[in-house]
Amino acid sequence: MEAVLWYVLTGTRGGPNRVRLLQAIDERPRNANQLAEALDLDYTTIRHHLDVLMDNGMVQKSGGDYGAVYLTTDQVEHHWETVETITERVE
Amino acid sequence: MWAPLQTDPGIWPTVARISVSANVLLLAVLGAIWARNYWQFRSKHTLGLLVFSILLLAENALALYYYMIDPMLAGWFATAVPAIAWRAMMLLHVLETVALLFLAWVTWD
Repeated sequence: MEAVLWYVLTGTRGGPNRVRLLQAIDERPRNANQLAEALDLDYTTIRHHLDVLMDNGMVQKSGGDYGAVYLTTDQVEHHWETVETITERVE
Repeated sequence: MWAPLQTDPGIWPTVARISVSANVLLLAVLGAIWARNYWQFRSKHTLGLLVFSILLLAENALALYYYMIDPMLAGWFATAVPAIAWRAMMLLHVLETVALLFLAWVTWD
C-alpha cells in the first residue's frame, strides 16, 4: 500500500489533485459534485480521479450510484501517516 | 566469425531510429511529469523516477546522435552495420518503446 500511495499520489500527472481529493474526503465524506465544488475542479476530472483512487483501494463508494458518497478505506486510514507526509507538500 | 557486411540492411535501421526517437519523446514527457511532481513533493520516490528518466533519456539521445547526427558514426551505422546486427538493435529499441508506452500510460493518468 505504501508504494501504491507514493506512486499514485506523487508519480503521476494527476497526483497533486488526487492528494487534495483524498484530503477533502478524509475531512468529510462527500459526493462527486460536492468534491468538484470544494476543489474547484471539473466534475468529470473528479470522477476520473475518484475511479483511480477506488481502483487502488484508497476510497470507497457508499450509497447509490448517483450522488454516492465517497469515503476513505480502512487500508488508507491504516497508512494515513504516509498520506500526511505526502500531503505536507501540497498547498 | 563476422557476419558478412551488407550494403542494404533493409528497413531495420529506420525502425530503430523511429523507435529511439519515440523513446526520447516519451522520456521527455515522463521526465517533465516527474520533474514537476518532484518540485512539489520533494520525495525520494519521485526523485528516483526523475533520475531514471533523465538517464534513459541521455542514453536514447546519445543513440540518436550516433545513428543520425555525428558524421563519422552516422556514416558507419548507415553503411557498415550488417542487417542481423540492426535487427538485434532494433529489437532492443522497440522493446524499450513498448515498456515506455506502458509507463507513460499509467503515468499520464
